[in-house]
Amino acid sequence: MPNVSIDGVEYEVAEGRTILQAIDDLGLLMNGVDIPHYCWHPKLSIDGSCRLCQVEVEGFPKLQIACNTPVKDGMVVRTQTESVQRAREGVMELLLVNHPLDCPICDQAGECKLQDYAFEYGLSHARTEEPRRALKKRYDIGPTILLDQERCILCRRCVRFCREVPETSELAVFARGDRSTIDVHPGVELDNDYSMNVADICPVGALTTKDFRFKVRVWFLDDVPGVCTGCSNGCNIHLGVASNKVYRYVPRRNDEVNETWICDEGRLSYKAIGAPDRLDASELRHADGRVETVRRDQAITLAAAKLRSLIATQGAGALAGIASAHATNEDLFTFRRLLDALGIESRACPVPTGRSDALLIKAEKAANAAGARALGFGDPAPVLDRLRGGGLEGAIVLGHDLLGPLGPDVSRLGSLDTVILIDTHHSELERVADVVFPARHAAEKLGTLTNHAGRVQRVQPALEPPFEAYAEGEILTRLGEALALPGFEADWDPRAVSKRMAQEVRAFAGCDVDSVGDSGKPMPGGSA
Amino acid sequence: MSLSEQVRDGIAREMAKYPKKRGALLPALHLAQAELGHISVETAKELAEVFEIRPIDVMEVVSFYNMFYDRPQGRHHVYVCTNLPCSLRGARTLMRGIEARLGIEAGETTADGRITLGHEECLGACAYAPMLRVGGTYHEDLDLEKAMQILDGLE
Ligand code: SF4
Ligand code: SF4
Ligand code: FES
Ligand code: FES
Repeated sequence: MPNVSIDGVEYEVAEGRTILQAIDDLGLLMNGVDIPHYCWHPKLSIDGSCRLCQVEVEGFPKLQIACNTPVKDGMVVRTQTESVQRAREGVMELLLVNHPLDCPICDQAGECKLQDYAFEYGLSHARTEEPRRALKKRYDIGPTILLDQERCILCRRCVRFCREVPETSELAVFARGDRSTIDVHPGVELDNDYSMNVADICPVGALTTKDFRFKVRVWFLDDVPGVCTGCSNGCNIHLGVASNKVYRYVPRRNDEVNETWICDEGRLSYKAIGAPDRLDASELRHADGRVETVRRDQAITLAAAKLRSLIATQGAGALAGIASAHATNEDLFTFRRLLDALGIESRACPVPTGRSDALLIKAEKAANAAGARALGFGDPAPVLDRLRGGGLEGAIVLGHDLLGPLGPDVSRLGSLDTVILIDTHHSELERVADVVFPARHAAEKLGTLTNHAGRVQRVQPALEPPFEAYAEGEILTRLGEALALPGFEADWDPRAVSKRMAQEVRAFAGCDVDSVGDSGKPMPGGSA
Repeated sequence: MSLSEQVRDGIAREMAKYPKKRGALLPALHLAQAELGHISVETAKELAEVFEIRPIDVMEVVSFYNMFYDRPQGRHHVYVCTNLPCSLRGARTLMRGIEARLGIEAGETTADGRITLGHEECLGACAYAPMLRVGGTYHEDLDLEKAMQILDGLE
């Protein structure tokens, strides 16, 4: 493997990489070795068009672009010399010649590479007086994205993205030289399952998503690492949070899971968190159908009493535990312990399904289907059959994904003696449940989710729900306590539960919430 | 208007010359434009099918080269050189004057379909700046009156 000296430090790098790639592989790019760059992107083909990444390479008479110069054994690279600084200044000046400088009304401000690099490497004044190019602004190029041609610096990342990732090629550079613009073909919109990624990779404010535009200034946002719960791919994301509200999901790089992308549907799934149909209180349904809002502990007492009397009269065999693939492994491990302690054998996890593709989107539309299976919550068909055919008198149900496979038979649930429901959102299921508890969304709790490939990934509270809501595991623990089951006395502590699960369940060995870190860890046995 | 059999045959012959089909896009555009006068969005769609690429890939090339047109052209192409040496000798004022007299802007065609006006980069006649060309014919050492005389003489 070649040895390369970068700013006086020797590194061993992989064969066949370019200087910039090698520095990125080392994890040093803009993180120890600062080479500003616009057109280069770790997951797109090399363009070499912006010229900002120039560095000194010993033996070359002129500066070389780091993004497209292959490394060679013995190469000596300098990234911070006087001539490099001058080149950066020059490139920045040219890029800014036609830039509208409308930062005050630009939504990219605060996360704009043009601002950052101009501040870092640019001149503080313009030497040109000529009018700047007047082009299309607020240009609607598709259902998700607006284009501002004036702000574009023609790095072509968006063009390459559409060509190379979704392979839909909606964007191109038209005309040439100082007349070049980014545009769509007449009559064809930028419209694909991954379209909004162009706003992330656009280094300036030329491409912005309609969804996020002008909702909040980015410097008010905290980026909380998390996982998208839209499907079983479990794409890594940052949740953008301000004033206890999630404003957006953006992709978080994880080369093992989603590289640097997320799908549009997953990106917009943050809306479920603050949706108006969130369940926000514990409820009791009386015999006459009247629904009463009660304190959690009152609901726990009542649910426990119902379960106790049902088991006493009918036996535990008359009950089923129906898990949700949206709950965390810790919630489901707790559920499993509760069902074990009560002697309830009948267990299942209905998983909603939908469209999939070869890129990221998976057919299972929940983040933890594999985790549920690994914990013994499998195919719901047998339980559904019992529900339809009789022989079942009660159920503890997490989530409402039962509604899909059950279809019109949901009314059958209503004739059960006892239905305890723990759910995040209002649904038809709520009307047949005797006791309902409001659950936390994955963005509101600590725990792990297992993706389709058996990778255990961490979620953590990005916000506090503005109403009473609990992790499923917490409700189930309190229920266990109320039923005087051994081992349910302690306060709900997802971290401790996670450690215990990693010790007791072989599939999760070494995969507790702390050990998996921010980028997750494969289950020792692979996917379930 | 769609591509004739002749043009399609011509394109097939060009394609055979290149290791990758796509290499023949430029000659194909020349053939198509010679027949149809310009490359419309519809023509781009047909060519894209022939080349198994997307219409946008065709229009990108059309827009890159100024010898290809994406809309109907006038009977005469009048190109005023506005490169630096000509501009130092008044080419931009000349251009603005012509625009005003013809009532169109560079890039547009007169309503009677007579003249399409355009900018041109250096045509190697800087010593006789400012200058314009009508088709392949150069007219040099111009002022607005001389230029308009020439343009008025165009059928
Ligand atoms: S729109 Fe953005 S990503 Fe696309 S070329 Fe312009 S600056 Fe680059
Ligand atoms: S592919 Fe799945 S996990 Fe990834 S962003 Fe889309 S919905 Fe979310
Ligand atoms: S990043 Fe190297 S030329 Fe743009
Ligand atoms: S600049 Fe006009 S001909 Fe050279």
